Amino acid sequence: MRDILYRYAIFCAIILCMSFGSVAFAEDTGVFDVNAFGTLERPVSQFDHDAHMEYPEIDEDCSVCHHVYEDGKLVEGESSEDQACSDCHTIKAQGSQPGLRTAYHDQCKGCHIDMKKGPVACGECHVR
Amino acid sequence: MQDIYLLVSGPLAWAAWAIFLFGSIYKIWKTLDTAKKKEQVLFSYVSLKYGLRSIINWSIPFNTVNMRLNPALTAISFFFHIAFFVLLLFVSAHQVMLGEGFGISWFTIPDTLANILAFGVLGACIFFAARRLTVPEVKYVTDWTDFALLILVVAPFVTGILAYYQIGNYMLMIILHMLFAEAVLVAIPFTRLSHMLLAPLTRAYIGSEFGMVRNVKDW
Ligand code: HEC
Ligand code: HEC
Ligand code: HEC
Ligand code: HEC
Repeated sequence: MRDILYRYAIFCAIILCMSFGSVAFAEDTGVFDVNAFGTLERPVSQFDHDAHMEYPEIDEDCSVCHHVYEDGKLVEGESSEDQACSDCHTIKAQGSQPGLRTAYHDQCKGCHIDMKKGPVACGECHVR
Repeated sequence: MQDIYLLVSGPLAWAAWAIFLFGSIYKIWKTLDTAKKKEQVLFSYVSLKYGLRSIINWSIPFNTVNMRLNPALTAISFFFHIAFFVLLLFVSAHQVMLGEGFGISWFTIPDTLANILAFGVLGACIFFAARRLTVPEVKYVTDWTDFALLILVVAPFVTGILAYYQIGNYMLMIILHMLFAEAVLVAIPFTRLSHMLLAPLTRAYIGSEFGMVRNVKDW
């Protein structure tokens, strides 16, 4: 019995060391500007920016994601691709403007759920 | 897969919590009702003071004679129960889902700590199983349902770890993780996991009888 627990402890130690090791390498953050998050808890999300432009529901319309709001109203036909999401979305939500993490999640998952395709579970985007 | 994920993380989760909640109320009501019908006199013993005194004393590690007799079991049991609730309430992924689903969230523990606790819970369950297999007086009162329950309880942790490290088919693991956790919730009122609901009642009763009637401590 003591033997089982002993071997088990060594096994856990190895797995944990491996996971610390993998965090130590700096990651390629793709198109995302993640500086505002500080140290990341998860691997950066998968996202093929070019492929998304081709999907019929986007069809090269930058403002689907890079939106502009004025007085809480979405401004049609204007886009903000020269800005990072974090330029407007702070870590904490401000009134009806979602916090940064929720902004990403709601935008990405929201469309995937509407389209009934595309990832919705944590590890489908945050792939190790 | 997306449909199944959304079903399991949405409607099924609601259903599991609802069954857990109403099942628990029913279970507690039923237990008190049976006690009332069989032994009306039980209730005249129950005292808030002695009941609480007993519950508090039994909640402090190594505070009771019984706990000091089995130090390993005591340490591992306390660890298991604390880790269970800490993981449920404070794992960052649970908080992300709560926050984005309901707009409420509280503090989280770092994933590193969560991993250590989760592996610890697995170790504790290995210990519980080994104990049931080896310690004669425990073996005697053990049947297959004890192992079935133990497997049910450990399953969310095994699948949670596999999903976190993305070992095996991720979607399968995360869906199983939620399904097993929902199964545990549903099982609480209807299996021996109901000790979560009933232990305080039993403790309060025994504490009252020992404290009020026999004038002795029950720890
Ligand atoms: C599906 C949503 C989506 C659409 C549609 C979209 N983008 Fe983006 N784009 C993003 C996200 C998310 C980022 C990362 C922003 C961040 O992290 O602050 C980004 C980043 C960028 C960046 C900066 C990235 C870098 O490499 O430095 C540019 C430039 C950009 N997008 C241009 C465009 C243009 C032009 C269009 C329209 C043709 C467009 N985007 C349409 C989601 C989208
Ligand atoms: C120019 C500033 C600005 C930029 C850049 C910006 N947002 Fe927003 N966003 C806003 C404002 C303001 C609101 C709040 C609107 C309201 O009050 O309802 C908002 C709302 C949202 C919402 C909730 C409403 C909705 O449209 O679904 C999401 C999700 C969101 N932003 C995601 C993003 C993402 C992801 C990016 C980067 C690709 C981004 N935003 C870039 C200003 C910005
Ligand atoms: C307006 C709709 C829309 C938005 C917004 C959107 N996606 Fe998607 N995404 C799709 C669709 C549609 C697919 C499915 C493509 C398929 O399977 O045919 C997809 C697929 C994906 C995939 C699977 C692989 C791939 O690239 O095809 C990933 C990963 C992904 N999206 C990430 C993201 C992330 C991250 C965001 C937010 C920054 C995002 N998506 C925002 C529509 C969207
Ligand atoms: C559709 C893709 C998608 C899904 C599904 C998704 N995320 Fe994200 N998440 C993102 C994007 C995009 C960002 C911003 C860029 C980044 O850090 O990866 C982000 C950021 C985060 C961050 C903040 C950055 C960090 O690493 O500290 C956390 C935490 C996070 N996600 C956790 C989760 C959890 C937990 C889930 C499941 C409940 C989840 N995500 C599901 C796309 C996704």
